[in-house]
Formats: sequence, C-alpha cells, structure tokens
Amino acid sequence: MAADKAGAEQPFTISIPQAELDLLRQKLVLIRFPDEIEGAGWDYGVPLEDTRRLIAHWKDAFDWRAAEADINLLPMFTRDIAIEGFGTLNIHYIHKRSEIAKAIPLLFVHGWPGHFLEVRKLLPLLTAGSPDHPSFHVVAVSLPGFGFSETPKKPGFAGRQYAELVNKLMLSLGYDEYVYQGGDWGHAVGAHLATHFGHRNLKAWHSNMPLSDKPKLFSHPIAFIRNLFPHDKTTREGLQVTAEFLSKGCGYMTEQKTKPQTLGYSLADSPVGLLAWIYEKLVTWTDSYPWTDDEVLEWVSIYWFSRAGPAASIRIYYEMMGGGSKDRLSGTKWTSIPLGLSYFPREHWRLPKSWGATLGKVVMRSQHDKGGHFAAFEQPEALADDVRKMFAKGGPAYGVVAGKDGYA
Amino acid sequence: MGSWAKPFTVAVPDADLELLHKKLELATFPDELQDAGWDYGAPLADIKRLTAYWKDSFDWRKAEKAINELPQFTTDIEVDGFGSLNIHFVHQKSKVENAIPLLFVHGWPGQFLEVRKLLPILTAGSPDHPSFHVVAPSLPGFGFSEAPNKPGFGGFQYAEVVNKLMLSLGYDEYAYQGGDMGHIVGVYATNAYGNRHIKAWHTNMPLYRAPTLFSNPLLFLEMLTTPFNKRMQEQLAPAQRFQTKGRGYFLLQSTKPQTLGYSLADSPVGLLAWIYEKLYESVDNYPFTEDEVLEWISIHWFSRAGPAASPRMYYGLTSGNERELFDGTRWTSTPLGVAFFPGEPARLPKSWVHTIGKVVFQSEHDAGGHFAAFEQPAKLAGDLRKMFGKGGPVYGIVPGKDGYA
Repeated sequence: MAADKAGAEQPFTISIPQAELDLLRQKLVLIRFPDEIEGAGWDYGVPLEDTRRLIAHWKDAFDWRAAEADINLLPMFTRDIAIEGFGTLNIHYIHKRSEIAKAIPLLFVHGWPGHFLEVRKLLPLLTAGSPDHPSFHVVAVSLPGFGFSETPKKPGFAGRQYAELVNKLMLSLGYDEYVYQGGDWGHAVGAHLATHFGHRNLKAWHSNMPLSDKPKLFSHPIAFIRNLFPHDKTTREGLQVTAEFLSKGCGYMTEQKTKPQTLGYSLADSPVGLLAWIYEKLVTWTDSYPWTDDEVLEWVSIYWFSRAGPAASIRIYYEMMGGGSKDRLSGTKWTSIPLGLSYFPREHWRLPKSWGATLGKVVMRSQHDKGGHFAAFEQPEALADDVRKMFAKGGPAYGVVAGKDGYA
Repeated sequence: MGSWAKPFTVAVPDADLELLHKKLELATFPDELQDAGWDYGAPLADIKRLTAYWKDSFDWRKAEKAINELPQFTTDIEVDGFGSLNIHFVHQKSKVENAIPLLFVHGWPGQFLEVRKLLPILTAGSPDHPSFHVVAPSLPGFGFSEAPNKPGFGGFQYAEVVNKLMLSLGYDEYAYQGGDMGHIVGVYATNAYGNRHIKAWHTNMPLYRAPTLFSNPLLFLEMLTTPFNKRMQEQLAPAQRFQTKGRGYFLLQSTKPQTLGYSLADSPVGLLAWIYEKLYESVDNYPFTEDEVLEWISIHWFSRAGPAASPRMYYGLTSGNERELFDGTRWTSTPLGVAFFPGEPARLPKSWVHTIGKVVFQSEHDAGGHFAAFEQPAKLAGDLRKMFGKGGPVYGIVPGKDGYA
C-alpha cells in the first residue's frame, strides 16, 4: 500500500479464544504468592490482601465473556495504517459519531497503563447534541502495542511515528481537520502531533496531564519571570508531590525506559505480576476512586488479552525516552494551535501553571478539586465539561475546525 | 547471641518441584523487537533456551546433592528490635588450627554458593600462604535464611546479623570479604565492629561516596575538572552508564519491592530474566553453562523466604529511597584491601578508594567482573593470601590466628 494510504476499515469485535481463557485460569490456579512485611500497607507496593482478593475474584467470579460482550457494544474497527520505515500496522479504534452532522472530530489518546476504554464514559457526553454546548465525533485509538492494535516490529518507533500514525487514522476517517484530547502518553503524543501536524490537520488540543519543561528566559520570558517569584502554597505543595513521585514513584518508569524486555517476561507470564504492576497505578494515581474488583479485572484483562501481549505496551517508554537518554517531549516544539489544560488535584505531575506556556498557546486552564491521573475515567463529566467549554460558542477555540463547530 | 548451630541440608519438597514444573509447562513468552540484542533487556532466545533447559534437562536433585556436600548449618540470631532470625550458612574449617576466621558476604542477585570455588583454596594449608576458616552466610531474605518481617531492617541490622553469627561460632576477631551488598554490609559492619571484631576487610567492589570539598578537597577539585579531563571522564563513564541505563532495578527495588515481588514469586521465567540479565551484564565474559545459571536461579526460586524477599534489602538500606546507601556511615581505620576487576560495572575513580577506609592493599586484575569469587576464585583468593600472609600488610592481625600451622 502507498505510504499515504490506509487500508479499508473493518468492523471489530473482541473475541478472546477459549484456549486463552483456559490458560489464564490454569495460571491463576497455580499462583504462588510472596509474603509481606508486617504493617506494610502501601509502603512497599500493592498490599498482599488486595492482591489475594483480586486473584480470587479473577479466578472464581470475574466474567470476562460478560465484560467482552459489553465492550463489543461500542463501535469498534480496525484498519491497516502504513508508517514510513515500519510497514503497516493494523490499528484498533473506537469511532462514535454524533447525531450532529457538524460535530467536531476529536481524537482521544490514552496512556500507560491506560487503554482505549478510558474513553467509554466520555462517549455519551461528548457525542451528545445540544444548543448549549458543542458536540463531537469521537475517535479513540489503541496505541500500537496496546489493546487490539498491532505493535511495531522494529526499534525506533517514537514521537514522530506515533504522530504520523494517529494523524493518518484521522485522515483515513475523512477528518482532515480535528481536535485532540489526551493525558499520560496521550499528552506526549499530542505534543508530537502538534509539532508535526499542527495547523495543517490538528487544529487544537487539550491535555489533562500538563507535563512540560521549565520556561527558559529566551523562549518564554514572561513565564520565566513568573516562575522566578516564590510560588504560592498550592504550587509549592504540587512541586513537593512531583518530587515525591520522582523519588519514590518512578521505579517502574526507569525500568520500562531502559529494560522493558527483562520486565516483560514477568508481565507476559504472570497474571498476578501483571495485575499488581497495573493495579498499583490504578490506586496510587487516582483520587480515591472506588474501584470495584470487576473494574480492575476488566482493565487488567485488556492488558492480559491484548493483541501484542502486555510486554509490548511498556516499550513506549524506551522508544519515546531514547532508552533512558532523553525526555518524552524531546523533539517537540511550541506551536500556536490553541491548547487547553486541565489540572486535577491528584495528578502526580503537578508543575507550576506558568510552565504550561512552554507546551503551546494555552487558551484555557481549568483547575478541579477532585480527580487524578485517569481523569476521563474518574471525572468524565468534569473533563467533558472542560472540552466543551474550550470549543463552545464564545469559547477560546470555537470554530477551529472549518465547517464543524459542533452545533446543529 | 544465639543457639548452637544445627547442621542443615537443602531439601526442597517434591511439591515445590512439581509446582515449578507445572509453571514452566505453562510459560508464556513476550514478543521481541527485531535485532534487539541486549538493548532492551535479556534476549528472547536466551530466555527461551534457559526455560526449556530448566523444564526438560536441569536436574535440581543432582545439584541439591552436590550443594549438600558443603558443610551447612542454621542458627538463631537475635537482632535488636527484630526478634530472632534463623540464619543459614556454610562453615568450612581449615585443617590448620590457627587459620584466620573469614566472613564472606554475598550480594544481590548473588547467593551463598558464590563462596563455593573459594573454599578449597582458602582453607588449604601450606607453609607458603595463610589458611582461613570460612563462614559464608545467606543474608536475611536470601538462600535458606529467614527474612526480617518488620520494616526498618537496614545496613546496621545486616551487619549485626553477620557479626553475631561470627561471635556465635567463637570467632571474636575475624576478617571480612565481600562485594556488591557484601561490600555495603562491610561498610556498616566495619563502622559498628571495625577493629574490635573485624580486624581487616577486603572488597572486590569498592563503592564510595563522591569526595566533597570538606572531606577530600584535592579529590573534589580533581572531580570538578571532569568536563575537561579525559581520564576522569573515562573513570566516571561506568557510573554515568549506570545512571542512564542501569538503575531501573535499583530504583524499583528501593521503592516498590512488593509490587515487583508478585512477579518474581509467581513466574519462574520472570525471575530467570530478572536475575540472568544481571549475571550476563556483570561478568567478564564468564562462560555460564545452563546448569550454572539455573542452579543460581533455583536458589532464589526455592529460597526460604521466596524471591520477593531479597529485593527488599534495597528498600531497607535506603529507607525506601529516602536516604543514600552509605548515609550514617563514616571512614574507618580498619585495614582495607581492594581488588579492581576490569569487568566490574560499578567502578568509580581509583583515586577515591581512600575515602572508604584505610587502604593497605590494592590489586588490579586483567580478567574478572562483578562476581569475582565465582569468576576468578584463584585471583581473589590470591589477593587474600597476599594481604594476610607473612610479609603482607595485615599479617597476624587476628591475634593467635595467623593462618599457618
């Protein structure tokens, strides 16, 4: 296929072979648990009590087929996308159109250990039509190596490639111009997308994880000066949280950006290993979200049953961070397409708001008093509200997509 | 102190062997990028080959029998604030009555069998070199020693265990050898028991804090010249590599060992990869056989406390990454011998070695890496013989036990 073409769209339903469910069950029956330090709580990682309970539920109560049937109610598809130097990758995505013909096309990109289903609660909100707020056609992709997308086979699939891939997906759906929402890797991919396809295709973007560099004097003098002044109490506390995350919460990141293959053997072979690895983030990165065991296990099952296997997803860290030698925004540049930022209180990256200016042309900032890292999952109404405000009539990015302002 | 030592033999229950084999049968492997080599971690071909061997060819009972030829014991050691820990150790006496008592301490992902090849050399008697009585414990949480089950077990606690072990065997004054965690425990042990009990010590992995302006002004100034000093850059390159590419396991084990532990306890393949990566990367082209690798991994898999326990040592030593490894320790005057092996990945400028302690002996080898006792036992034993032998810098340092008949 020519490099600028994408293959034909195929409808997609998840249908995990029974043999895989049987193998999972066989492994669950044979699980060998470690011991635990007395009174450890969450100090050393996931508590044994939680893990035991979740494994018992996975083994005896969690109904994957019911979850699968439910997920299959979502409009899902796959198509081949060609990426320069990497051949074609078969990419999985949700595509839900609004009833409003001129709804704004919006690309939602998840992160790690997230996945495409993080968009689920946003879908009815974003696609709803109303005279009071804009409506969106929503595309939620499974990044390569996640969910039911194929994974790149060669080293070097990094920012430019992710941007190319998601952009081609949108183009293949007839969305020459579109807007974007993301957090975690979705934030970094957004920055790369803005760098390579900003203005031409990407007209505006929104992030719920505003991770950015410090402002430098010559590139962002006003933000730089603002950053010199003593920060207010909230900002100081935020920096403290970030510092704590960097010193105590980054072990997984350091391993994944340097030795993903070594770690991958554990994640591919041990359901409890994978469960603990992901569940730790689901709990520590959210704002007391009341996870049900079913929610957790559905989430982890997406990883366990993923097309490329759970070890593939963590390679994004290595590829995007140069095997440990560069940071994830390396190669991105400031662009003037409108950028909206949402600040959730339990997000672990809590940098001074003045730093957001280095990412792009910030046209909207909203501060919330509830919610954490997985904003779309924890606070869908609040996040949808932010996105609506950004693109609403009278909003800072109204009408950025020609002929599609989101209203009837 | 502790109860009398009881003889110990390794006897892994049949049920444990069966469970391992069932898991190996069900092993599921990840994919791998084309031509990844070792860039992303342990290569798939290696891990598949080793897993297949473990499943179909490795004879644990045969290995166990050979291990049980070593004189092994257990004894209860009281640790202040932590109760009693049952400690497993090898204790091989020399035929030379006045042999020098020597405590050998392994590291992570090492284990007590690292002493194995040293034993016949160190305990041999001769008029030409000193002889040693060798004690090699399994550190708490490793091998067949119990693990501490309360938080806060740090450097001084590990030191307390190994010192009390020696005292319980009647070795009031002794020598010490260690690399990796064995070096770190050695720093704490000489801080707490140096000169009084530990009369001299030797390390094959000299790690130390960077010089500060106040502690070592000349070395500090030299360090500042690094941007324009090629020799300094070369000497700091290994540390730089570690910072950029090698510290994932260190940071993870220092902060979330429990989360990691679920994988290591449940997946033999996961444990194999986790440890094998270190074995491969840290040695100096040592030609590991499959049997050697799998015996090594099996000690961790079948360990008394399980494979999730030993990584907690990193958390304990750093208080969950809240302190530096050597915080709370200082320079000591206990005579120190240092061996530099070319393949040791943890290398800092040689001139800084005097910041650890009173260096009385240095050697530089042309072969060998991190697991010196395993890779180059003759060279390491040779260093100890020179250091403690007649004419050596610490000859006769253990009163009444000069190592000669």
